[in-house]
Amino acid sequence: MIVNKIGVIGCSGEECLGGTISRLVVRKMLEELRPGMTTSLCLPLFIAGDGGEREFAEKYPTISIDGCSKCCAKRAIEKYSNAVAGSIDISEIIGEDKALEKPLSTRNLTAEHLEFVKQTAEKTCEIYDGISS
Amino acid sequence: MSKIKVIPCSGIGKVLGLLARESVLMVTQEKCPNESETLCLAHVVTGDDEVVAKIKGQPCITMDGCPKYCAKKSVEAAGGEVDHSYKVPDFMKPHRGEEHGTGTYLTADGWKFAEELSDILAKTVIEMQEEVR
Ligand code: SF4
Ligand code: SF4
Repeated sequence: MIVNKIGVIGCSGEECLGGTISRLVVRKMLEELRPGMTTSLCLPLFIAGDGGEREFAEKYPTISIDGCSKCCAKRAIEKYSNAVAGSIDISEIIGEDKALEKPLSTRNLTAEHLEFVKQTAEKTCEIYDGISS
Repeated sequence: MSKIKVIPCSGIGKVLGLLARESVLMVTQEKCPNESETLCLAHVVTGDDEVVAKIKGQPCITMDGCPKYCAKKSVEAAGGEVDHSYKVPDFMKPHRGEEHGTGTYLTADGWKFAEELSDILAKTVIEMQEEVR
């Protein structure tokens, strides 16, 4: 297993706020918090890709970031690739009612939403550092 | 008639996935909220019974970020009927040279392009509704 990079895959859910937050957390890990050490993957490539994507969670310890308790990213990664090294259910951080609010366009992000992204990203970093240390 | 499902890919690495997502949210939340709805693509990817029950045999439109056609292929794998499959690069020609943003945010030109994509999707939704009537 290559341990110089850690995979972070979000559900990007389109039906609720938690999905929007999951996307933004993945982007924050890639761009700001652990740039160069984080890798990601478009989740549906497990179905639509050429098959090589299925090795993703074997190659990289992978953290799933899910928008709600259905935990679709975690389930899909484990179904098509390998067990995740860590997982986050955003509804456990911001509360289920909030997580299930309607999906959000990035042009309607408020300070509250950005705080949710920050809190979730901090939790992701804790898991990340636990894996990489 | 049940609402037409309009489903974007979950592209995370580049702006194309965000353009697909934002254009779909404009249609399902603003332009055709009574005629269309979206589904979490990651949930579709899991292929679990709950999501198959929602999508099997249902009329769908997909908007993908690249020629991997993740949304189209995942919807078809779950039994959805993809009546119209679009991909963002097909509409890029008049926008060559513009900066649309990243997987995190859209620029003013990016929002204009997303608006254009959402008009194409909204027109398709209305046409499909009329065909049924
Ligand atoms: S975990 Fe929840 S928000 Fe994410 S894709 Fe699944 S149903 Fe949608
Ligand atoms: S269609 Fe392309 S951009 Fe969209 S999820 Fe698949 S690989 Fe990513």
